[in-house]
Amino acid sequence: MNAHVRRTFYVFVAGFVTLVGMLAYWQVYARESLANNPQNGLQTQRSIQTPRGLILAGDDETVLAKSVGRKTGSDTVYDRVYPQGEAFSNVVGYWSTKYGAAGIEIGQNSDLSGTAEPATLDGLINQMSGGPQPGNNVVLTLDPELQRVAYEGLASSVTGRGAVVAVDPNNGEILAMASSPSYDPNTVDETFPELSSDPDAPLIDRATQSLYPPGSTFKVVTTAAALEAGLSPSQIFNDDGTYELPGYTVVNYKGKKYGRVTFTQALVFSINAIFAKIGVEEVGAQGLARMAYDFGFGDSYEGFSLPVTPSNLGPPPSEWTPGTLAQNSFGQGPASSNAFEMALVTAAIANDGEMMEPRIVREIRSPDGIILDRPSPSVRHEPLDASTARELNGMMQRVVTEGGLTTAEIPGIKVAGKTGTAETAEAPHSWWITFAPADDPQIAVCAMVENGGEGDDAALPIADQVMEAYLKGRGR
Amino acid sequence: MIIALLITSLGFATLIFAQEVTSPPLVYGAYYAGTLFVLYLGVRLLLPHSDVLLLPIVTLLTGIGLVMIFRLTYDVEDAENLATTQAIWILVGSGAMFFIVVFFRNYHRLFDYKYLLALGAVALIASTFTPFGYEVNGARLWVALGPVNFQPSEFARIALVIFFAGYLAEKRDVLTATSRTFLGIQIPALKYFGPVALVWAASLGLLVFEKDLGSSLLFFAVPLLMLYAATGRIAYVLLGTVLFSAGSLVTYLLFGHVQLRVQSWLDPWEDPDGAGFQILQSIFNIADGGLTGTGLGAGFSQTIPEVETDFIFSAIASELGLLGATAVLLAFLAFVYRGVKISLLAEDESSKLLAFGLTAMFALQTLIIVGGVTKAIPLTGITLPFVSYGGSSVVGNFILTALLLVISERAGRREVEETLYEGGA
Repeated sequence: MNAHVRRTFYVFVAGFVTLVGMLAYWQVYARESLANNPQNGLQTQRSIQTPRGLILAGDDETVLAKSVGRKTGSDTVYDRVYPQGEAFSNVVGYWSTKYGAAGIEIGQNSDLSGTAEPATLDGLINQMSGGPQPGNNVVLTLDPELQRVAYEGLASSVTGRGAVVAVDPNNGEILAMASSPSYDPNTVDETFPELSSDPDAPLIDRATQSLYPPGSTFKVVTTAAALEAGLSPSQIFNDDGTYELPGYTVVNYKGKKYGRVTFTQALVFSINAIFAKIGVEEVGAQGLARMAYDFGFGDSYEGFSLPVTPSNLGPPPSEWTPGTLAQNSFGQGPASSNAFEMALVTAAIANDGEMMEPRIVREIRSPDGIILDRPSPSVRHEPLDASTARELNGMMQRVVTEGGLTTAEIPGIKVAGKTGTAETAEAPHSWWITFAPADDPQIAVCAMVENGGEGDDAALPIADQVMEAYLKGRGR
Repeated sequence: MIIALLITSLGFATLIFAQEVTSPPLVYGAYYAGTLFVLYLGVRLLLPHSDVLLLPIVTLLTGIGLVMIFRLTYDVEDAENLATTQAIWILVGSGAMFFIVVFFRNYHRLFDYKYLLALGAVALIASTFTPFGYEVNGARLWVALGPVNFQPSEFARIALVIFFAGYLAEKRDVLTATSRTFLGIQIPALKYFGPVALVWAASLGLLVFEKDLGSSLLFFAVPLLMLYAATGRIAYVLLGTVLFSAGSLVTYLLFGHVQLRVQSWLDPWEDPDGAGFQILQSIFNIADGGLTGTGLGAGFSQTIPEVETDFIFSAIASELGLLGATAVLLAFLAFVYRGVKISLLAEDESSKLLAFGLTAMFALQTLIIVGGVTKAIPLTGITLPFVSYGGSSVVGNFILTALLLVISERAGRREVEETLYEGGA
């Protein structure tokens, strides 16, 4: 009888071994796939039970996003609160257990959620013991006052649709990045379906994600290419209002004729026919494309914390007809861009031709204040040599002083800029790129108002307010 | 013993730390430790030759169970605090154990009443069909007697094991030495086999109608294993397996709830929010634990319906991980090992069979429920011995352990006497 009992025991042992094997299968082998299964709500539940890090503005005080605890029974769940509301939502984004996340909330999620590699001993101990890990704090480069001014300017513009990007040309820090219309990130859980079907697309960050014809602001790129090709700002051109190409004739905006003008004046008066001629005869397709690429066209800015849709020039330059080249030369061709890219172009011109790496995250700090990451300014690219950049800088100053753009003038400060009036099927998009002080640039701004009319109508006043607010804030 | 109590205290300490609860648990903990320690000392004193490991294992398992139940129900939304109740049941169980140890040291007396016990067992199971019985979750397992609610099948099965042990030991020879064959299988005389089959069929039939699948499986398998152990006839096992398959097929076809169980085992994804919900939540939580677990109190096993009873093992696997869960399984295996050893050392056949039957029941119950919650086999609602919340189950298992202890006392004393005798000679 003992033999039978023993045999049965072996069967039981085999059973237990099988169970351990089964457990190992679930807990080791199938673990990942189960954790990511859409039916599995545990990860979401865990994430709402851990406070996410703060998102702070560049002044280190203004809280843009925080987690507020709420007791439910013995558990504390955290709601995400955005005290500054819609002015910042294109950058900060939202964080919803229902609809996912956007902006910095997702771009810096591994820091904010505390799932990044532990950076401090406390973090390591917490992770090892499986204890809760509060997220790290993310400090942005945004100047909260500037962001407000930019957003309110856009919201109260003719169409209320547009984008503003302000950059510190010396270090690449994004000082303001506004997009309108916007949304209240505090209520995304309820309003998301409505927002995502809104024809005005408030969830899209117009500064980085949309593309528009850049209009005459693109002439600074053509000018840069022409200066590099050896053209002098004082070169004389004779304008009869048109520029004829086989099969295509360029006509000036509103059919104006300017007669004898210098290259600088061609930029000041934004003469399309002359820019078409320069593009075709002096720069060439490859030259123009190379300059645009050097300025960041075609680049998705991989390291940037927010997704950027690359600006583009349409078909590759080898396929351009002379007509395509002519149109791209004054910004009315297939080329398309956005406020983010054009602000960086402007900043590069302002910074003596050096384009700094754009940054919107200044610092990552652990919950107890230890600095975990602080990217230092770095040169991304050098599209222009310093002397060309200064020549272009000078030409852009004369756009303000000789172009009758009195709104853009700031007493005691030299301002440089270029308007853009990008023609569309409807009212033209209004563009303005600018930087100041021109002799020691501190801020570069690009403003764009969709269907806002001429460049100096809608975009210029907004950029001007942003710039004045910034320079005043710096005690100038 | 000390180690078992230390582990339990550590568990409570972790929980108090993790959930920042103001601590009635300290009081429970002290009281629980006191109870089991006194019980341990009492048993050592009364049964000095009994198995030394069984009670510490029981202490460890009930301790882990108490910690988990506390963690899952204390101060948790929508959950009643069940830890206190469980602690009371452990006290009652300890009392029952003490009672048996004191009054049934000569457990052979039980075999004299085996027919009565069998009848009692069947009556107990049948009692759920009386007006006292009531249904929970579609299964009619409960009886309410005044303020006390209990699951009669938890006790009936111990009585049945005693009956089978007594009867099989008595008739073992005639059952083995049979000459009649049918289709190449030796068939024992109906005269001898009859009572076994009758009791077996009666209890099984009743349970099937109560829709208590887990217990049915136990009631079916345990006597079969005992029959095998008693006679050594693999034919019984084969016959049983055939019967089991046929029976399973019939129940599958007859009962919708059985079909549902099997379907949600084969493909829980088909209805992840309905029939498959419980098993999927269990799997998600087990997977969430990984190798080392989420840590006590940091898991989400409250999402599993019935987590504090049938699914408590999922919670353990989730919060203690593969390592912790394997350790708990090893504790169960150690209990089974000690039980088998007691059976091997027992002096007479009825004792051997009794010890074996009880151990087999304990082992199968563990395998069935852990297999169920890990989706190794279809889920059948049954408790994890000592760990799950449930008064009847806890008390029943204490009685089971008490019986094993008194059997081991006999064997142990005999061994000591033999050694003495040899030493003297």
